[in-house]
Order: sequence, then C-alpha cells, then structure tokens
Amino acid sequence: MNTLYFEDIEEGDELPGVDLFLSKDQVRQYAKAANMYFPRFTNDEAARAEGLPGMIAPGVMSLGLLSRLISDWNPAATIQRIGTTFRSPVLPDNTIHLRGAVTQKNEADHTADCDIWMENEDGERWVVGTATVTVPTKV
Amino acid sequence: MALDFDRSIIGKVFDETIFPPITKEEILEFAAALGETNPLYSDEAAAAQGPHGGLIAPPTFVAKLRANKLTPEHMPRLGKTGFDGGRDLELSAPVRPGDVLTMVSAIHDVYEKTGRTGSMYFIIIRNEVTNQNGEKVAVVDHRMMQR
Repeated sequence: MNTLYFEDIEEGDELPGVDLFLSKDQVRQYAKAANMYFPRFTNDEAARAEGLPGMIAPGVMSLGLLSRLISDWNPAATIQRIGTTFRSPVLPDNTIHLRGAVTQKNEADHTADCDIWMENEDGERWVVGTATVTVPTKV
Repeated sequence: MALDFDRSIIGKVFDETIFPPITKEEILEFAAALGETNPLYSDEAAAAQGPHGGLIAPPTFVAKLRANKLTPEHMPRLGKTGFDGGRDLELSAPVRPGDVLTMVSAIHDVYEKTGRTGSMYFIIIRNEVTNQNGEKVAVVDHRMMQR
C-alpha cells in the first residue's frame, strides 16, 4: 500500500479504477454484515414480488464500495465527507466499475475533493457522488 | 402544489438509540464484505502500528446503524412509493471496537422537486452519532424519496 501525500496529488488525477464482478453472494454477505438481511437484498423471487427486476444491492453497499475506491487509491486518506445519490438499482451478477477523479485541491486544510461513481458495463452511472478527504503532507 | 403536512415535525428528535458495544468481529466482517484490504480496517496487528493505534471501522460503517424507529410516527406520506435516494456522511471520530454509540434522529428537511416524470418528494432524516466519550462520530443524512 502506497501513501500518497498532498504534494503528490494533482487536480484532474484519476483514481485507479476498481472493476469487480458483484456476485449475489457478496451482496448477501454485505446485507448480513450491515444488519440488512431483507428479502429484496437476498432473494430474487422476493425482490420480484416487490416489483424489482431481481435482488438488488443495498444503496449503502454502493456507498461502502466507493469508500473502498478511495481507500485503495490512498490508504492514508481520511474521508471527511462522502455523499452518494442512488440513481438506479444496483443489480448483482454484473461487473461494476468504480471510478473517481480529483476535482479540487484545497491548500488551506490539505483536503482534496473527488467525484466518485459506479457504472455498469454500458457506462450507465448507477451511483454518483462526491467526497472530501484529508491527505497527509510531506512536511 | 404546496406540500401539505405539519411542518412542526421538522427538527424534532423522534428517536434516540444506544447500540451494544461495537465488536472487533463486526468491524472485520463489515470490512471483508466490502473487500477492504486497507490494514486500518482489516488487519488488527498492522492497525496497532498505524496512526490510530488499533483497528478502526471503515468510514461507511456508521451507515449500517439502524435506529429503533426509522421514521417518526407522524411521518408525512407524500407519495405512493418510496426509494432510498442516497446518503451524505460527515465523519469525525473513528469507530473502534468497544465503542458504545448513540444515534439521535430527526427530520432535517422535506422538499419537493418537479421533473419530467412529475413530482418527487424528498425527506431528509438526519442521524447524529456520538460515542461514549461524547465525541462527535458522524452525521448521517438519509435522503428518502417518495413519488
């Protein structure tokens, strides 16, 4: 794991993308760990009975995965603020792409603002958001 | 169309939940479910050598805290169906094993937006999380949508 310092970061930097196949078992594992073991997150048939196309991932799982994107990029970054909008249900058994970019560096408090999002294989952004992280300095 | 409900519910605390002590196991389980490999959240021995002197929970751990009452009894029903619109987290003190967290919940805002598909109603539930030392841990805004 490599620490990135404030001096190493530039506006416009892309965060290294995370591509993962989101399995139904991983969604169930999250639902269990997050006290959200509800039918719509664990069972296709029950989710369909609720009018969904099949079981979906909890919104906060997407939030958590986007926080992991930041953690993978810079394990020394501390998230001060993270916000996401759930634009579309996240369907497991799909490959998802977590992406982000640094939009602004703030010299005064050594923070960086980032755009973060999750897209599917067709480039549709299922979840979009922003985060502000504190980054250590070299001096 | 003006929103028709009792606006006096805004800002009133409708729930205060105190959670059982956070365990190391639930932090590790939560981190594993997200595929976190950052040692701060996933490796007790390595985390002990790190800046926090021990394991801490991943930042979004606070979003899993479920209040006893998710909404006030007199929650306005503004639409037929509800969606989870999003979350906004403001994070302060980290969550550590053994922490006893308290969450205080209130309706923060209610507003309407009109788009191509008609009117959408947004209800923001603000959850303020503190720890046993009285330190601010997080503010979790839950954006619920109704249509």
